[in-house]
Amino acid sequence: MFEIKRDANGTISLHGRLDASQVNNARAVFAQVKESCDVDFAELSYISSAGLGLLFGTQKKLVDTGGGLTLINLSPHIREIFQIAGFDNIFEIA
Amino acid sequence: MTAVSGEFRREIEAIGEVFAFLGNFADGQEIDEKNAFCINLVVEELFTNMVRHNEGGGDRITLSIERRNDRIHLELLDIDVEPFDPKTAEIPPVDAGIEERRPGGLGIYLVKKMVDDLKYDYEAEDRRMRITVTKTLEN
Repeated sequence: MFEIKRDANGTISLHGRLDASQVNNARAVFAQVKESCDVDFAELSYISSAGLGLLFGTQKKLVDTGGGLTLINLSPHIREIFQIAGFDNIFEIA
Repeated sequence: MTAVSGEFRREIEAIGEVFAFLGNFADGQEIDEKNAFCINLVVEELFTNMVRHNEGGGDRITLSIERRNDRIHLELLDIDVEPFDPKTAEIPPVDAGIEERRPGGLGIYLVKKMVDDLKYDYEAEDRRMRITVTKTLEN
């Protein structure tokens, strides 16, 4: 089960498990991101390379225009995946 | 213990059924959340790799998993496919900045970093590809 929401401040909240079968649901929301915003991982229990690739593509788009995503409330497991992938060099992780 | 096996549709959408299978195994073996996360990730990356790169293969992929003491042994079997060794996938430049990074290649890299051993075997006679993985459970 995966859900994605965007609040009035532009913060994107991820809920559940972001796997390869769910990434297209998230893609529609990230495609609308045009400027810097937070992505809240508090309710995300799982992510694989499919989700990492989507975040990477969004970050690349934003960095080209001087912006970027800030990732917040990562669980220790997910933070470790980001570190292995070298994504802690690419994203601001709060 | 004896390995448990399941057959899954060769579709990305089947990954939910794969997770249900792995969840039952993890619960039965009292595997903690962190190790279960790793097992899920390893299997998802290998399974989706087979679905994407072995087009035209049989309609099922077989997954087997077994615990021996503190080690997990996984096997993914794909029949009637062309050879494709995931270990030959390009290594992403994980120390590079975003300008030098490209999407892709991350899944197999994560697998290699998270397991003790990853083996690829292909039998040309029946076009059978087998990937075996060993992972030590972390405390």
